[in-house]
Formats: sequence, C-alpha cells, structure tokens
Amino acid sequence: MRHDAFVYDSDEDYAVRTAGFLREGLDAGECCVVAHNRAGLAMMRDALGPDADRMVFVDLSWTYTRPARAVAAYHGTFVRLLRQAPSVRAVAEFQFGPTFDDWDEWQSYEAITNLAYDHLPVWVVCTYPANRLPDAVLDGVLRTHNEVLADRWAPSDRFEDPRDVVRTLMREPQPLPGLRSWYVGQDLERFREQLAGDLAAEAVPGAKALEMLVAATEVATNAVRHGGGIEEVRVGRVDGRFICEVIDRGAGFDDPVAGYLVPRPGRGTGLWVARQLTWRVESFHSPRGFAVRMWL
Amino acid sequence: MPRRGYPASTAGPDSRNVPFDDSPVPAERERERALVAAAEGGDEDACRQLIESFLPAIQGLARRFAAGGGIQQTELTQEGIAGLLFAVRRYDARMGTPFWAYASFWVRKAMQDLLAELKRPVALSDHAVRGLAQIRAARRDYIDAHASEPTADQLAGATGFSRAHLDSLLAVERPPRPFDEPVGTDAAGDLATLGDTLADPEAEEEYRHVLDEIAVREFARGLDERERTVLWRHYGLGWPPQTLTQIGTSLGLTAERVRQIEAGALQKLREAAAEPPDVRGT
Repeated sequence: MRHDAFVYDSDEDYAVRTAGFLREGLDAGECCVVAHNRAGLAMMRDALGPDADRMVFVDLSWTYTRPARAVAAYHGTFVRLLRQAPSVRAVAEFQFGPTFDDWDEWQSYEAITNLAYDHLPVWVVCTYPANRLPDAVLDGVLRTHNEVLADRWAPSDRFEDPRDVVRTLMREPQPLPGLRSWYVGQDLERFREQLAGDLAAEAVPGAKALEMLVAATEVATNAVRHGGGIEEVRVGRVDGRFICEVIDRGAGFDDPVAGYLVPRPGRGTGLWVARQLTWRVESFHSPRGFAVRMWL
Repeated sequence: MPRRGYPASTAGPDSRNVPFDDSPVPAERERERALVAAAEGGDEDACRQLIESFLPAIQGLARRFAAGGGIQQTELTQEGIAGLLFAVRRYDARMGTPFWAYASFWVRKAMQDLLAELKRPVALSDHAVRGLAQIRAARRDYIDAHASEPTADQLAGATGFSRAHLDSLLAVERPPRPFDEPVGTDAAGDLATLGDTLADPEAEEEYRHVLDEIAVREFARGLDERERTVLWRHYGLGWPPQTLTQIGTSLGLTAERVRQIEAGALQKLREAAAEPPDVRGT
C-alpha cells in the first residue's frame, strides 16, 4: 500500500498530472479510480477523454462525514475493485472543513489511512489544492503522507508515525459529571435491558437505540472478557447526543487507532462495530477505571 | 485559546436571517445542538425544521451566487440544502462552533462546486444529443400519463440511463425559470423574489434523497420479522418492554427459544455493522 499526496497549483495542473498518473496505471493493468466531487469528476472525464471509459469514478461529495465511516467506505470499495484487478490506483480529493478542530479530526483520518489499507495492493494519492487550503492543512499533508508530488515525487521528511499523529491530535475527553451511573453486574442481557430503558427515557428513536444497544454490547463484552469486568456504566445526554460510557476494571489499552482498522484475524471487531454505529468513541482512564465512551 | 480558521471571506457565519447563531441564550444553543444531532440520526422532522430555519440564509447565499450569472437561484438553493444536510452529518458540537458558522461553509462550497461544474465548456456529442432527446421524450410521456413532473430517478428508470449519466446530460440543458419576479423585501431588507416565497419541490426532493442516504445506515434491514419482533419487544423499541417469557407466550415459543432468536439477531447485526460498505462508482 502506498499513501502519497499531490499538492497542485491549479485545476489544469491537477487534471493533466493526475490523468498521466492514472494512464500509467491503466497501462500496467491496474484498476484506476478518480474520487472527487461532481465538478472534479466532470473535469477529469474531460481530461481523460476516451480513457475515461476505463476508469472508475466515485462521487465523494458527501462521503467524508465521520473518519471511521470514511475508512470503512474506502476499504469496501477497494476490496470490491480488487476482485477485478490485481491492484488499485486511486486519486482522491479531500474535503477539509472550515475550523481548526475539523482539520485536526481529518488530519487524524489521513494518518489512519496509512494503516487502514496497509494489507491491500492499493496506491492512494490524495490531492490538495495549494491555493485553496490554509497552511495548517498543507503542513498536515507532510506529516501524514510518505511521499508528496509537487514539482516531482519526493519523500516527506516530516512524515510521522501515524499513531503519534493521531495521539497528538486527539482531544481530551470531557469529565461530564452530569451522566447518571448504574451497575447491573456482568450479565450482558441485563446490561442491554437497563440501557434500553435509559434510551427510551431519553426518547431515542428505536432504530438509533438499536444501534447503541449493539455498539454498547460490543464494548461491554470487551469489558467482561478482557477488562476484568464492568465496574460502572454511565449514561445521559450531552450536546443533544445520547452517551453510554462503560468503565471496566482492567488496564485498558493505549492504541489511538483502535477500532479504526477493519477487523481481520487477530484484530478485534468490537470497537470497529462501535465506531461504525455511533458518532464518536473515546477511551480513557477515569478515576473508576478504564472507560470507553460512546456518543450516539 | 481561540483557534483560527479560514479567512472571513471564505467561511464564518453569515449574520443575516440566522435564527440560532450568536444567540445569547444557552438554551437556544442547546436546542440547536439537539436538533442537529436528531437530524444526523435520521429524524425527518428535525431535518425539516433545520432546513426551514436556515432556508432564508441559504436563499440569500444562492441569490448572491446567482447574481454572478448563468445559474438559476433555485438550483443553487437546492445544492445549498444538500450542503446544509452534509454539515448536519459532519458537525461536531464539541468544537464549540455555532452550527451555521460551520454549515455555511459547506453551503457555499456546494454552490461553488455547482458553479464550477456547470461553467465548464460543454461540447455536446451526437451521442449526448440523442440522449437528451430520449430524456425529453420520457418526460413528455410521464407528464401525459401522470399529469406531474417526473423525478430524476423516474427519468433514469424510463430511459435506462444511470443517474450520473442522466444528471450530466441534464446539466447542459437548463431552461430558465421565472422565479426572479420581485415580491418585496426579506427580513434583511434585501429584495426578495417569487422563488424565495415558494416551496421548492426540487429542494424537497434533494433533502429526501439525503435522508434516504442516512436511512441506508439502518442496518437492521437484514433481520427477519420474528427477529425484529423479539428485539423490538424485549428492549422496548416502540413497545413497552417485555420479558423473554412474555414474548415467547405471544409467539408460541419457549423463553429459551426466544433467547436463541435474540442471540442470532444480535449476531446478524454485529456482522452487518462489521462489514465495510462500498462507495458507489460509475
């Protein structure tokens, strides 16, 4: 897997150079993908001419909502395309939002990308418009991509270990003293029944409540099997979102990308499922034990 | 410590016609966050309330972009609503940024992307011209049969074109719409047009489309009826919660059998959530 970046100066620069890059892939028998918004896809169809018929175009206009879901979406797409070709070459335009926090979150995502597909024969080139992005975002490009194409391909001398990048960008979890606390022992069915009662009390719609029940079951199961048992459960609503926090008696873990990487043999499924089904998952050491907090 | 963002020219709150922004009342801010969270979770009423609340601001932006020439305000409004709903799915209240300050960036971006897409030089091939003729014929047939305008999906179905192909063909043929008639001024004192005052069926369709996309995440669709019944009743999802014995009695099953059905259903849901989705390509 290669995960590189192309910082371009203009749309013309983007179109000409990515078209050349993709044609090289076609000549090598690779499956080639252009991922962009509608305007970018239209531009690339023009630039590629007849070769466009041999490309896969993916509209990413509304894809980047949550990092965990974006990782899953790309992984699913790559796996599907790898059934048709021995390797995949993808050019993907990224979508950063307007705030510094948003940049941090999606810079973390870029770091995670280095690990998320490392078992797949894919070459992903993320494209960044130099003139339309702030320096902070462009600095992050150098931290999260092995090689960067500007005038030519060159290794980034500022590339950092992806886990270190994620760790430094993670926000400290809030204490949330207003959450309600309960304990029902280690019985997962009783755990779900109690949680379902709280979800109903907070008027969480049934389909969303089910997502939390499944996600929380995964986390509670981990607590029982690997965390020395459930010590306490805390629930409530903050910022309009229902929260369930499971505190266990174990040592916890210190992997900032836990749950972001697709389940494989030897890699757990629980946190991945929890991240896919909830808005956010945080893990941290609290005074009562190791806590995993899910925001619905 | 305050953190910087984009320059004010490309982001930041649009102060006109914004119902929640800069409210000094924390309860209002809390209500806004709850509304956004509910909308992100697929609550259609919450989506509708958000759209209605921010529609004047979106239309204000659309008016400014449309003034640049070449594109109808209604199309920009529709795209702006899609941008707003994207912001709903990405907005993180923990960031402390008011929703509109965040969302207006995506609304503008959606409009800018539409402008970029439509202002490309277009040279229609013979093949494209024939495609447009097929679309026009399908539209006429539909109106004759149903006395109403077909949706884009219906046109795609009637012509056999993919939605992306259909959209790309329609993008080059955009009849002007008489929505520019002045009808007074809006709350900000700007000239309002007839288009501002009308419900926009295209915008309605667009946000329904986004809602459908959200609903795709409803991962319980793989359950059969009995599995749903067991889970929904046991955990009180729209029902008063029941014990496994009560559910078993109503279904003619033992409590143990109901427990097995529930375990199987939870395993199915786990597997569904673990399976990476696929981004549709063309």
